[in-house]
Amino acid sequence: MITVTINGTKITFVKPVTILEAARAAGIDIPTLCHHDALKPYGGCRLCLVEIEKVPRLQTSCSQQVSDGMVVRTETEKVVEARRAVLEFLLINHPLDCSHCDKAGECELQDLAVKYGPATGRFAESKRKYPENFEDPLIVRNRERCILCSRCVRMCDDVQGASALCVANRGSKAYVEPFSGGRYDCEYCGNCLSVCPVGAITSRLHRHGYRPWLMEREVATVCSYCGVGCSLVLQVRNNSVVRSVPGTDPGFNKGILCARGRFGYDCVNNGDKLSVPLMRRDGELEPVTWEEAITHIAHRLEEIKRDNGSDAVAGIISGRCTNEDAYVFQKFLRGAIGTNNIDSVAGLAYGPAQRFFERIFGQGVTANYVHGISNSDGIFVIGGDPTAVNPVLGLQIRSAHKKGVPVIVIGYPGGLKRFSKHTFITSSPAETVLLAALVSEVRQMKSFPGERPAFDEIISGLQPVPLKSAAEVGRFGLNELIDMANTLSNMTNPSIIIGRDIVQTSTGHMNLLFLAALAYLLNGKVYLLSELPNEQGLLDMGCQPDMLPSGRPLAIESFRKRCEETLGIVLPSTPGLDYAEMIEAAHVGKIKALYVMGEDAALSLPDTNYVRDALRNIEFLVVQDRFLTETARHADVVLPALSWAEKEGTYTNLERRIQLTRKAVEGEGIEEWKIISEISKILGLDTGYRDVTDVFAEITRISHIYREVTHDHIAGGKCMWPYGGGPLRHDAHIEGVDLPDIISVMKNSEAGGVHVRREAHLFHSQNASRFSPALQSISPEPYVKMSEILADRLSIRSGDYVKVSTEAGSITLAAYRDPCLPENIVLIPPFEKGGIFEVTKWKVNPLINVPVLDGSRATIGE
Amino acid sequence: MNSRESVLLKNADRPGPAGIDEYGEWGGYRSLHKALSMEPGQVLDEVKKSGLRGRGGAGFPTGMKWSFAVADPQTQKYLLCNADEGEPGTFKDRIIIEKNPHLLIEGMVISAYAVGAASGYIYLRGEYPKAKDILLRAIKEAYEKNYLGDSILGKGVVFHLHIHCGAGAYICGEETALIESLEGKRGQPRIKPPFPVNEGFSSKPTVVNNVETLANIPYILEIGGDEYAKIGSPECPGLKLFSVSGHVKRPGVYELPMGVTLREIIYTHCGGIRGDRKLKGVIPGGVSTPVLLPDTIDCPMDFFHLGKVGSMLGSGAVIVFDETVDMVKVCLRITKFFEHESCGKCTPCREGVSWLRAVLERMSNGSGRGGDKDLLTEVSNNIAGKTFCPLGENAAAAVQSFVNNFGDEFKEKIKSG
Amino acid sequence: MALDNKILDEINELKRKYEDERSCLLPALYLFQREYGWLSPEALERVAEILNIPKATVKGVSTFYAMFSHKPMGRHLIQLCTNVACMIMGGERLLDILKGRYGLEPNLTTPDRRFSLVIMECIGACDTAPAMLVDTDLHGNLTEENIIGILERYE
Ligand SMILES: Cc1cc2nc3c(=O)[nH]c(=O)nc-3n(C[C@H](O)[C@H](O)[C@H](O)COP(=O)(O)O)c2cc1C
Ligand code: SF4
Ligand code: FES
Repeated sequence: MITVTINGTKITFVKPVTILEAARAAGIDIPTLCHHDALKPYGGCRLCLVEIEKVPRLQTSCSQQVSDGMVVRTETEKVVEARRAVLEFLLINHPLDCSHCDKAGECELQDLAVKYGPATGRFAESKRKYPENFEDPLIVRNRERCILCSRCVRMCDDVQGASALCVANRGSKAYVEPFSGGRYDCEYCGNCLSVCPVGAITSRLHRHGYRPWLMEREVATVCSYCGVGCSLVLQVRNNSVVRSVPGTDPGFNKGILCARGRFGYDCVNNGDKLSVPLMRRDGELEPVTWEEAITHIAHRLEEIKRDNGSDAVAGIISGRCTNEDAYVFQKFLRGAIGTNNIDSVAGLAYGPAQRFFERIFGQGVTANYVHGISNSDGIFVIGGDPTAVNPVLGLQIRSAHKKGVPVIVIGYPGGLKRFSKHTFITSSPAETVLLAALVSEVRQMKSFPGERPAFDEIISGLQPVPLKSAAEVGRFGLNELIDMANTLSNMTNPSIIIGRDIVQTSTGHMNLLFLAALAYLLNGKVYLLSELPNEQGLLDMGCQPDMLPSGRPLAIESFRKRCEETLGIVLPSTPGLDYAEMIEAAHVGKIKALYVMGEDAALSLPDTNYVRDALRNIEFLVVQDRFLTETARHADVVLPALSWAEKEGTYTNLERRIQLTRKAVEGEGIEEWKIISEISKILGLDTGYRDVTDVFAEITRISHIYREVTHDHIAGGKCMWPYGGGPLRHDAHIEGVDLPDIISVMKNSEAGGVHVRREAHLFHSQNASRFSPALQSISPEPYVKMSEILADRLSIRSGDYVKVSTEAGSITLAAYRDPCLPENIVLIPPFEKGGIFEVTKWKVNPLINVPVLDGSRATIGE
Repeated sequence: MNSRESVLLKNADRPGPAGIDEYGEWGGYRSLHKALSMEPGQVLDEVKKSGLRGRGGAGFPTGMKWSFAVADPQTQKYLLCNADEGEPGTFKDRIIIEKNPHLLIEGMVISAYAVGAASGYIYLRGEYPKAKDILLRAIKEAYEKNYLGDSILGKGVVFHLHIHCGAGAYICGEETALIESLEGKRGQPRIKPPFPVNEGFSSKPTVVNNVETLANIPYILEIGGDEYAKIGSPECPGLKLFSVSGHVKRPGVYELPMGVTLREIIYTHCGGIRGDRKLKGVIPGGVSTPVLLPDTIDCPMDFFHLGKVGSMLGSGAVIVFDETVDMVKVCLRITKFFEHESCGKCTPCREGVSWLRAVLERMSNGSGRGGDKDLLTEVSNNIAGKTFCPLGENAAAAVQSFVNNFGDEFKEKIKSG
Repeated sequence: MALDNKILDEINELKRKYEDERSCLLPALYLFQREYGWLSPEALERVAEILNIPKATVKGVSTFYAMFSHKPMGRHLIQLCTNVACMIMGGERLLDILKGRYGLEPNLTTPDRRFSLVIMECIGACDTAPAMLVDTDLHGNLTEENIIGILERYE
């Protein structure tokens, strides 16, 4: 027990805290500038000085810990004098340009100057002068205003791990800047903006447009970019989002955001968004009224259903739609149309992977807390760079690495380059061989936990693969590999983090089996990276061709019957087509009508040409979206939808945390679920929802996993899996798992040539980022990354344009050299034009029903 | 003193460094043999008994510092030699390194043995390229003779020694900034506690000692701690090197017992003021220590007595000013030094010292304004007691001492402006 | 930046001296400065790459230290001390001599790239004040008369 007296009040602490923390706990305010709760004590600004009895010098309360019996005074004459002195020093070179400084009103220095009285003006020299720096598209730096608290630099180093900023020079000549001195070469998390106490680092997005007192509303909501679901607050004025700042509850992102959450909000205000329904007349899309559009859709669907049967209609939904949208959509297709032809982008990797693991380990096995990652004793990353796919989750890996936790990355490490102990980059078949070898190796070191004898048997039946073979196939150093295998075997509660690149391959089913074996043998927790904010929600809502809401198979008749009774409708009983099958069926004319809710198929699937042909082949295509996407341009009817900031609803993130998205601004479209309800009504199924909470109430009646959850519960933070009770894990159902034929994979991997692999991209996650001018401005151009050896052989310098050709097509891209790549791998990110999907041939892995990206070899250069 | 043979300055008046054989002929490395035949704790006791205080400036009792590191339960420990010698006026460590490098190495091996450090670094200032070459050669010789390595003198004692060069930053002489710099970082001081003896280099217990401090160790072992404690001032005994520069007839480094007076140094050892002019003032311990007036030169030079007359022993760098010197200009030059060397971490030092320089500059240019003298006092008072580390503190104290002691000259500058 | 293997070897050698690669940063910067005369942005980037340290961090560190130059330097570097002891012994007047003879001013390089001049804080040669370092050679007891003679020895 530590008892301290601060300004006469006695307070007791169990653990040592700093004087500042102690004072704040007692409700006593001590001014600070360099201190920030997310950062380690720095003690630089000297504002937080306090007097401690029996200590001759004043001490900084931010860095000094309390000790038992300590007597502290925070507002003595000596202390106040010292603060005045420090403030005067800070102000001698700080411009007094508050009137046009974007920080005015929330500037910590301004507040302090008001509190302690302005400087007396004894400083007669001219202030240091530097022009503002506008070289960066998003961030303005003002060196004159900087007080060198270094919060931005420490944030960038210690929390974000991007280390893109430094204090250059020293003493009175010191200043903060990125390496180039101009543009940032960074992850654009913008966390430096959050922590700057003054107006030295400001956002260009709301330059001279933000003043705290002018904001009309602050809306706490969830980010709509990825499956992490960070909490954020949208600040609104004149029905437009002026700024987004990190929220503190209920997400775990506590004060940080990534580039998409920070700057991507401008897609809400994008002037190109659709405002009226469009209908194709004489080949052109023309504006029509809502009524016209909706009746037309209903009649056409009715016709097609009558002439070709219900299963000639199909629906695809985007991972950006809410649970409520998703639920109503599947109910419409099943109840009003009578088909199970429903799938989503979650069906392309996230869903199949989850299904695979749940089959072995039970439902909810991938529902693990993101903040648990940094507490594990090892991290195994495969299938995509988490710092790009799910950036704020990626920070957990970095922080684990800083604590000394070993991180192994299979695949391109991207933002984990400086944060992993072992990295192995190779082709996709070689990755499978590597996984097989790792399972063999770990199996020798660890005994079976004995929880799932059926799985033990499967693992025992696997062909052993020596590390040496994996090293040969993957072109790795054997010693490095042995080292890595040892590191892996020593883990006792690792986090196994899996991205979609390991699923979307011809050997994806094998990879999943090997990963399940590793998770089992190592007692690992599985995390599935999720590129869109509500992939999990779509699965939970039953947007799958063979699953009903709550992830229950259609085949379970008792459950289907119960749903039918509860809803008073008939549900079709044969499984429908999945996403890939729908595209293939469209190709051969078997799908006549396709209803697309917010999804841009042309940007989600490999082989853009093939997908385009399929879309063209559809007799009646309806697209609900915010923008005229590539898919929408093929549509017969386009309905303007609302963005996540324009409507209420819920998202379920990759941890299975349910969160509320709240309406911040008034949009011009109509909520997705409402549009569907209208069409549904004409087709004879009246849903009767008055608002979004009615929809959610029905979800909780149907889905036993969401049972008893309400919007109020969620707002109150009761939103973590398993929501209403104990975990739903059950015994394995693993009959029928094929044992992989690893020998033929090895053979296949021997073929030479250059493999094109996808680079997960921080600024081009999926379609929404395309409509954010801010995100676009960071990295506007598609590119191909290649090894130095390959580049040297082809005499390619960074920035040169090269042609990349495969059997699927060829594109010309800017080339970049990356010393960490092996010779036989090039990376291309997804892009609207010139992205990876233009050079990947249409092919489906039939065992898990996902379109794959591997298989084509590329030639580089003319 | 004349009766005693030079210990730290042996070989100082000859060109070139003493090689390992020569050093051996003088009885070199005998203390190491002796130390290794004792328990580490016994070596530590001798150093404690000697009353040796650090010669880097702060005067912290060396034995006590070591015992803190010894008490830390972590087994991996480091010994760092502070050879950053950046305090203007100081050139004593360079002489030791350039003339008698093995004395330092022997001192380090013994010290490392006492504190249980298996590796050490000499943080050498970048401005001493020659010293680096000499040390490199000496270290190589010591490895060859098994005075360094994995089993020193075949006794299983491990100590590896490397040189790490600074690159022109005075603040890196401050021990925590030194450690940051050794770790490849900007040389900004760290928050204390934790102190280096518990969490220093690579977060391991680390002892940082000045070159001269370490060079005293073999002698302490040779004559015994009790005997050493009899040299010089009773409060802080021992041998001290004084670097004397400025307007004396014979500038240079002098090895004298602690407690010798400034008068003796200037008039006896250095032959008095050049041209027999009048003494105007003297800085007793490098520019970080307040300037003294001629009436205080009978003060004994040690950590204790100089404090009583408002200054400090610092590194023992005596800078002598004769009557021709413009003290405002000297004060300005010192302040410029501190402005240039401020790391910039803390507000009062970064902004305040720069402000002081600006005021001094205009005074020195003859464009001082009424009130400038008081402004100097007020601004330096506002710096004092609020900085992160002693650098800013010392900058303020230096200005205060000049303004207080030569106030008329400062007033003069305003009038003439 | 074409890099000869010599530097890489030397850096690998350095890595053995320290437990943490980060400690190699200052010595590595010295190597690049020795090799190229100054630390260009490309050099900083290379060091960052080799030691796996973020490049902005490398810049923050290298610009902290006065002895690293971030612009091209002449063939010979004159480091003239003007701190107190050298100043009162006449060091500042030497600046005028350098200016008169070579047109050289602090932080500048002569047009023929023969000399660059930097002003030093104390270089630890106060007993022979005023003093300067030319490259790695120390010259003390400088006078207005002898300084040019000394410098003329550097081509
Ligand atoms: C600004 C500053 C500069 C310093 N410079 C040096 C230096 O150049 N050499 C040195 O030995 N100690 C220097 N010190 C003192 C060191 O911090 C430390 O006290 C000393 O190295 C400890 O060694 P010692 O106990 O043997 O004296 C400096 C301290 C400060 C605050
Ligand atoms: S007093 Fe402050 S700014 Fe000055 S050197 Fe010390 S820490 Fe750096
Ligand atoms: S808040 Fe404590 S020194 Fe800045």
